[in-house]
Amino acid sequence: MLKKSYQLLLLVVLAFSLVLAGCSSNSTSSNGGKDSDSDGKLKEAEEQPLAKKEGNSITVGVADNFISMDPHDTNDTLSYSAQKSMLEGLVGFDKDMNVIPVLAEDYEASDNAKEFTFKLREGVTFHDGTPFNAEAVKVNVDRLADPDNNLKRHSLFSLVDKTEVVDEYTVKVSLKEPFGAMINNFAHPAAMMISPKALEEYGKDVARNPVGTGPYKFSEWEPGDHLSVEKNEDYWQDGLPKLDGITFKPVPENGSRVAMLQTGEADYIYPVPTEQANEIQGKDGIVIESDPSIIVRYMSMNTNKEPFNDLKVRQAINYAINKEAFVKVVMQGFGSELDSVIAPNTQFYSKQDPYKYDIEKAKQLLKEAGYENGFEATIWGSNNSSTMKGMEFLQQQLSQVGIKLDVEPMESGTMSDKIWSVENPEDAEIELYYGGWSPSTGDADWGIRPLLGGESFPPQSYNTAYYKNDKADKLINDALQTADPDVREKAYADVQKILWEDAPWAFLAVTNTMGGKKNYLEGVYLLPDGSLSVQEAEIKQ
Amino acid sequence: MVGQPEPAVPKNDPKGPRVDVKDEKKKVKTPFSEFWKKFKKQRLALFAGIFIVLLLILAAIGPYITPYGSEEFDYDNILVGPSLAHWAGTDAYGRDIFSRIIAGTRISLFVGLCSVLLGATAGTILGLISGFYGKWLDSLIMRMCDVMFAFPGILLAIGIIAVLGPGLGNVIIAVSIFSVPIFARIVRSTTLAVKATLFVEATRSLGATNRRLIWKHIFPGTTSSIIVYFTMRIGTAILIAASLSFLGLGAQPPTPEWGAMLSSGRDYLNTAPHVTFFPGMAIFVTVLAFNLLGDGLRDALDPKIKD
Repeated sequence: MLKKSYQLLLLVVLAFSLVLAGCSSNSTSSNGGKDSDSDGKLKEAEEQPLAKKEGNSITVGVADNFISMDPHDTNDTLSYSAQKSMLEGLVGFDKDMNVIPVLAEDYEASDNAKEFTFKLREGVTFHDGTPFNAEAVKVNVDRLADPDNNLKRHSLFSLVDKTEVVDEYTVKVSLKEPFGAMINNFAHPAAMMISPKALEEYGKDVARNPVGTGPYKFSEWEPGDHLSVEKNEDYWQDGLPKLDGITFKPVPENGSRVAMLQTGEADYIYPVPTEQANEIQGKDGIVIESDPSIIVRYMSMNTNKEPFNDLKVRQAINYAINKEAFVKVVMQGFGSELDSVIAPNTQFYSKQDPYKYDIEKAKQLLKEAGYENGFEATIWGSNNSSTMKGMEFLQQQLSQVGIKLDVEPMESGTMSDKIWSVENPEDAEIELYYGGWSPSTGDADWGIRPLLGGESFPPQSYNTAYYKNDKADKLINDALQTADPDVREKAYADVQKILWEDAPWAFLAVTNTMGGKKNYLEGVYLLPDGSLSVQEAEIKQ
Repeated sequence: MVGQPEPAVPKNDPKGPRVDVKDEKKKVKTPFSEFWKKFKKQRLALFAGIFIVLLLILAAIGPYITPYGSEEFDYDNILVGPSLAHWAGTDAYGRDIFSRIIAGTRISLFVGLCSVLLGATAGTILGLISGFYGKWLDSLIMRMCDVMFAFPGILLAIGIIAVLGPGLGNVIIAVSIFSVPIFARIVRSTTLAVKATLFVEATRSLGATNRRLIWKHIFPGTTSSIIVYFTMRIGTAILIAASLSFLGLGAQPPTPEWGAMLSSGRDYLNTAPHVTFFPGMAIFVTVLAFNLLGDGLRDALDPKIKD
């Protein structure tokens, strides 16, 4: 009996605390409700006094573990964010993904897009004292171009035929065939320069001992806990760096990351969960920055399979989805409708005429295609909560025109088996796939060819729509044969028009980058491809 | 109905004077009325029992009385807190959480009842065989149960789901599989006790077959412990099923399963806690009710506890 009364007591206490929790949270929920009514737009941060900051070092909270510090062998945007504080490339991207010179003072491309000449900046040294010169560039590009090195970013440089040292500060890279977007590949963080001495000394272990020319030097890396960099006193740019050091901390749990920013344990966090952005904006000296990215969200339709081989069905699906509601519901308003296959900040983007949300028209098209009563289909996607939310939304939308979707979330292992390892397009079970893509070279080519090019079927690349259109393929190829921006722009405008009308995807949205900082921090920002720039960070007091 | 008093009890005027002889006779009651007398005193369990009956009614008629459809979305009213129009607020798609919880009652109760029924049936048969025949059969069955006991319940369920694949049907199978050893063990120990009693010996010496012995004489002796654990296990089964759905291994969207609702609301824990609070409360109260009922049944059915 004693045991029982003890249990009862415990229950009562538990019930009571639950009710209490309910009461206190209800009061905040009414606030939260109001915020999300304002169409999810970020509310204006009110004037608030600068938060207090001691010391001249900052902590950045990120969502995942860093994988590698070797840019040539990295394929996650997050690792690049840390690498970019220590390493630099010949060229790079500015805030709007325009190519700007960094270690090269100037560059030029031959008309046939086969030869690229870089004039290097003089007087730059690596952190270990090795001088930066044409020879160092050659070592790096040769390393990337050699398939035997098995580097993850070899694909961006597989076209390189040879690299020549013209003089101490001039280097010429020749390609096997023309490739108009090559400068963007050089601006990709994959092409950042590592000290040749470090490459020789550490070999593959350079991934744990990065030596570059950047404003910060590598200090220490405890995987899973933190990675820290310290000031490079001999940096070539005047006035930089302005901080003594930066510590990157992986914090996968959304709530903990937000709490770190609130308490000041972190000075900058990303991504800020969209659900909480408005809740923390303007309090405790927090400023949320949300800007359009180049990351697109789409649902691909397997054009080899019935009923998606019918253009009318694909267009009907595009008409049946309320894109405005998608942005509002799935992204809490932190995004915009997608009106081409690539996002507005991507090079050579051309706006298309949107598929206006129109259920009647969608039903009409389905009727013409012979699917008056709709049909059943399966949608695949990864099993994280935001992807599941997107898929559930699509399920709701398409149910309005009689299309019954079966949502199948998969963890990445299953997904790689079922999607990315299918050798023969006829064997592909995939029907609908909810995906996202960040063309990290910032160029239209990398936003289109890997996803919708006729030679990009899995397992080679990411064409989950198994879409092949000879006319589009020819235009994509034409655009690569030249470095002339006008010719390329024309070709990509035509490609985008074809793809838009052919609708191998349901075009959904462009996401926003979400960063949160304390208001004393300046010069830290997210690039549209989702990577972080900390080179110019400073603390204002 | 079992509730009828035995004809042996004479009908007498309740206000009339009683003699000792009649009192003696009054004590002879059916097992049910005796149980009911004891059970009535367990106020909390009685209350829990009534609550469960209400839940069952709700599960039957729920979908016909909810104010909104469980998949009816309204993008103009997303994540709205509790109000008169939406008693438990709305979720991220503007669906009425109250309606979804009611619709989910049917799923949770169905999964709970089904899985425990399956597990109890299999477990009881194994327990009877094990306890009655003994020897190597007993060792074999009990060692198998030990192996299954070695796994924590949820881990075993996750393992089974990993083999069978996600889905509500497979959750039922998983939960019933890990209920089997518990019933097997309880039924076996009662079987051993009943088997050793004099009346079983007597029946055996009269030439009853094993089958008759087990079903007519031993099995009825085990029912009281089965009923208690059956009730308790339903609570656990509902909780495990909800946990599996929470982890994305059970009900798939947009099914209004409580665990799945809880899972989809966890991103809004800070901004719209009602999305997780109400489904969580539904699970909590239902599981509590089954456990309290089980407690009450145990006290009422246990011959060792005198009133």
